[in-house]
Amino acid sequence: MTTTTLQQPGTPAEHEQHPKHNLTGFIIFLCSESVIFLAFFSGYALLKTSALNWLPDGVDGLEWRMPLVNTIVLVSSSGTIALAEHFKNRENMLLFRGFWLMSMAMGAYFLYGQAVEWSGLQFGFTSGTFGGTFYLLTGFHGLHVATGILLMGLMLIKSFIPGNYSGGEQGVQATSLFWHFVDVIWIILFLLIYVWQ
Amino acid sequence: MTSSSTRSINTPAVVGLSVWVGVMVLISNWMGQQAHRWLPVQASTAAPLVDDLFSFETAIGTFVFLGVVSVMAWVMLFNRAEKYDDSDAVPIEGNTKLEVIWTAIPFVLVMGIAFWTIRASEELGTLGPMEHIHPRNPVEEVGGYTGDRLPKEQVEVIARQWSWEFRYPGSNVSSTELHLAVDQPVTFRLVSEDVLHGFYIPAFRVKQDVVPGRAIDFNVTPTREGVYRLRDSQFSGTWFAANQSDVVVESAEEHQAWLEQASRAPLQPGLSRAVSEYATRQARSNPGWATVPPAPPPQVNVPGSSSQPHQA
Amino acid sequence: MTIATFPPEPKPEPGWGRYFSFCTDAKVIGIQYIVTAFFFFLIGGLLAMVIRGELITPESDLVDRAVYNGIYTMHGTIMLFLFTFPVLNGLNNLLIPTMIGAPDMAFPRLNAVAFWLVPIFGFLLMASFFVPGGPAYSGWWSYPPVSIQNPLGNLINGQGMWITAVALSGVSSIMGAINFVTTILRMRAPGMTLFRMPVFCWTALAAQSLQLIGLPALTGGAIMLLMDLTFGTSFYRPEGGGDPVLYQHFFWFYSHPAVYVIILPVFGIFSELFPVYSRKPLFGYVYVALASFIIVGLGLIVWVHHMFPSGVAQWMRNLFMVTTMLIAVPTGVKVFAWLGTLWGGKLRLTTPMLFCLGGLFNFVFAGITGIMLATVPVDIHVSNTYFVVGHFHYVIYGAAVMGIFAAIYHWFPKFIGRMPYEGLGKLHFLLTFVGANLNFLPMHPLGLMGMPRRVSSYDPEFTFWNVVASLGAFLLGVSIIPFLLNMLSAWIRGPKATHNPWNAIGLEWLLPSPPPEDNFGEDVPTVISRPYGYGTGQPLVEHQDEIERRLELQEAAA
Ligand code: HEA
Ligand code: HEA
Ligand code: CUA
Ligand SMILES: [Cu+2]
Repeated sequence: MTTTTLQQPGTPAEHEQHPKHNLTGFIIFLCSESVIFLAFFSGYALLKTSALNWLPDGVDGLEWRMPLVNTIVLVSSSGTIALAEHFKNRENMLLFRGFWLMSMAMGAYFLYGQAVEWSGLQFGFTSGTFGGTFYLLTGFHGLHVATGILLMGLMLIKSFIPGNYSGGEQGVQATSLFWHFVDVIWIILFLLIYVWQ
Repeated sequence: MTSSSTRSINTPAVVGLSVWVGVMVLISNWMGQQAHRWLPVQASTAAPLVDDLFSFETAIGTFVFLGVVSVMAWVMLFNRAEKYDDSDAVPIEGNTKLEVIWTAIPFVLVMGIAFWTIRASEELGTLGPMEHIHPRNPVEEVGGYTGDRLPKEQVEVIARQWSWEFRYPGSNVSSTELHLAVDQPVTFRLVSEDVLHGFYIPAFRVKQDVVPGRAIDFNVTPTREGVYRLRDSQFSGTWFAANQSDVVVESAEEHQAWLEQASRAPLQPGLSRAVSEYATRQARSNPGWATVPPAPPPQVNVPGSSSQPHQA
Repeated sequence: MTIATFPPEPKPEPGWGRYFSFCTDAKVIGIQYIVTAFFFFLIGGLLAMVIRGELITPESDLVDRAVYNGIYTMHGTIMLFLFTFPVLNGLNNLLIPTMIGAPDMAFPRLNAVAFWLVPIFGFLLMASFFVPGGPAYSGWWSYPPVSIQNPLGNLINGQGMWITAVALSGVSSIMGAINFVTTILRMRAPGMTLFRMPVFCWTALAAQSLQLIGLPALTGGAIMLLMDLTFGTSFYRPEGGGDPVLYQHFFWFYSHPAVYVIILPVFGIFSELFPVYSRKPLFGYVYVALASFIIVGLGLIVWVHHMFPSGVAQWMRNLFMVTTMLIAVPTGVKVFAWLGTLWGGKLRLTTPMLFCLGGLFNFVFAGITGIMLATVPVDIHVSNTYFVVGHFHYVIYGAAVMGIFAAIYHWFPKFIGRMPYEGLGKLHFLLTFVGANLNFLPMHPLGLMGMPRRVSSYDPEFTFWNVVASLGAFLLGVSIIPFLLNMLSAWIRGPKATHNPWNAIGLEWLLPSPPPEDNFGEDVPTVISRPYGYGTGQPLVEHQDEIERRLELQEAAA
């Protein structure tokens, strides 16, 4: 929610705009945002290491193959979004839109995969601290993926405004930064939840 | 303080300053001694250690505070602008030597206090509170004690909303009044049935949160006979303030006699002010803001009395 | 509901309307913040009067016990989240752009959104008084399991509203922090390097960095608490394997730094005002500025000192004790720098100066009790007693709120364009200083004797000091009357202020009073020297004479 506010230009009528500052502000926001994840991660680690019986009855570990596919898709989308940005800087709008759309699709696939995984699980978020932290971490991250896709959609629409990106649009830069951030968080999450069992 | 930066030595100033520092040292020393009087009676081995540390800190603190306030008083008395004087003072922008000095002095002081404290804590650890935290109900364990100080008695302390129950498993006694033998190390095993509580006996200078889901072992040696108060120190809901109990420290013989007498007494409801107050409250037509109902009073051999005089 | 937060009887004078609108001018937002904050200060203060009324006798007789618990919880919450943080953000809004010569904040709309969240979560918190079961009652820490007990079992309950309000307050503060940090980093006047920046901006930068690092942890912890309360998860629920102590870590990881978020800007205010009223440069400017960031670094690694009796290992207690103690060093650097500034100065004991001196006095006292609290064995005895309550009211009321009063008296002419009255101001100071010491000093002997905090009744041996404290509190309640009178009458018909009534040095004093909407507009002066050049004869900016002459001509013409 803060993200979108930051992306919108200020009221043009009264104020001189300082578009240069948007990226600064956004980076500060991301640094701050990462602390929430840090809090959740350390909570997860602490609860896990001190638990007597961590897994709820009848659950013996998480399936990791499908999440691994998901992970590969999400991490590669970091590459495609970088490519898209590269082509935007070359002012090749066609390839920019292509790769941009592809990143969106990969993000959407990730969300779909997660939904499938959730629906097949034996435990809910009230199943002890394991269930709670699992859904909290993956859910909160999923929310960020969804936000990222929305932002990308917004930037895609904006790219059709003639000449919009000629002055160097920071929205694209910020969105792709956000996307990389979401990816890095996922890698840590994957290691914590699926690899460390 | 700043006068040390003047180039030529100003003898009257140096003498005056030295005299004043001497006076401040005397006052600080006196305050340090006074500090003992602000604390409750000392009734455990932990108390003298805590009190000496506090007294030492009071002395240092008084000195620092007086030093700062003296400078403030001085400038307010002697460095006031004349009524219609709009001019600026002599611009001194800083002095690196002074900066180094007043970084170093507090550093040395606080590290000195920290050193003293760590040593005191270590001593406290062997004499009194040394918490052993483990998940509730695993194998029994009393570790960390040198053989001769191994506490003879173990008292199980059960905290509830809002009452304290003390169980003496060795003698098969339970009570809502804590009885201890003087000069006899005792281990408390603190458990809570609902929320956080705090096990606090001011006369013993000890305090430990009681955390639900954990059993915390906690050791004390009472050193003075008398009646003291045990107060809940971690907010636990509506009747938190009333969640208190008496601590009776008695001679070893009296304690033994009490245990024996108690073990023969029939079980009856223990003290719980919350239960009676709750009843009156709910009888009102509009009981007011919501509250968790109190747990029923524990069934104990000795309820104790709620009106005996206590010393701290 | 917000309408009521502004001064009564808004005259149809032009310009008042903007204080009620979604205006994006930082100076308007600043005043909106400050006025809203003082509205809540009165409510929080009124609750404090009820607390002290209850505690003037040992029995629980004035209010029901459940009501007492709700009241002290709401007192702490309102005072911190609806008074202190908003009032400081108000000062940030007024002072940062004008002090660094920026036309406005970097993100004016974000700024307005951040402000308007305050009345929204304020309303939410106030509304919790009226839901069935009453407001949150588990203290401003909201430690589980008490905070997730939810006696009535309703979905909408005081505690849930409390958590939501605190989370919204966090969102608002994060928005503010992003704005302040970006503005300070990116929008300074030409020539204003970091080491030519006023100390207030340094401390604001330091404090807001703490917000950015600390707040998300609290937000994360609060989300988990809300889920435990509402959806039956068991992050902190021992029955489900959760850990109540985990919450304490989240809470204090933010809430300890929060106390430096409060005091750092006040250090900034002291550093601005002592030079003006002693006519000397700030002693050791660079050290004072840098010490702020040392406090930030240390402030982030001391939080366990609030949990010494909670069940943490001895090595952790020792480690966190040492880091806590170290904070005395950079803080001492500041205190001694202020004394160095005063030394040999030409002091003027105006109202703002008196508030600064009184605040410094109280601060040093509170710092020393803080050091006592940091030493583990002493803290074990006095933790969760009135000694702690005394310590923090000395810092918060005795130092921070007094510093805020100093700032208001000092900058009122600049931003309102009218002069406050000295006589009323000095009366306000006297009542505040005496009242605060009478109120909060007796709390220390009470704590040492073993009186726990958060109690609605106490043993009779504590009566004497409680009566003294309550009388002091009522005096403190009275002290606010001359302040309100002063502010209202000066605002309505105080004498017109010139652009620089205190003869102070700083970019904000090179603007007309009140400054135009975009401050310097296109002609931002170029800064050529360090701040606080009192007595050095060096101008602060290029063409300073010209700028001042123009301002004087304007004032003469008006
Ligand atoms: C603005 C707010 C503010 C500030 C600035 C401080 C400053 C300090 N505080 Fe305080 N504190 C609070 C607000 C604040 N505190 C609050 C609100 C609580 C309780 C919350 C709650 O429980 O509800 C609390 C509680 C609290 C505790 C927990 C007590 C407990 O619950 O058991 C501790 C323990 O270490 C502590 C310590 C300190 C220390 C060491 C400082 C230091 O920063 C002080 C440093 C300053 C000085 C030391 C004075 C100046 C220095 C010199 C003149 C140099 C020479 C000095 C020496 C050599 C000593 N504080
Ligand atoms: C900024 C922070 C701040 C401020 C300014 C204050 C100000 C005051 N506080 Fe508070 N206090 C806290 C923060 C603050 N407090 C916190 C965080 C807690 C801990 C809560 C917890 O444990 O969870 C606490 C707890 C606390 C307690 C302990 C309660 C308990 O543990 O049981 C007490 C008891 O005396 C107290 C008293 C006071 C008093 C007398 C004032 C006085 O200074 C107030 C002076 C009041 C005024 C100047 C305004 C007077 C108004 C009127 C007379 C009425 C007019 C009203 C209208 C017109 C609407 N406070
Ligand atoms: Cu108003 Cu920019
Ligand atoms: Cu702290």
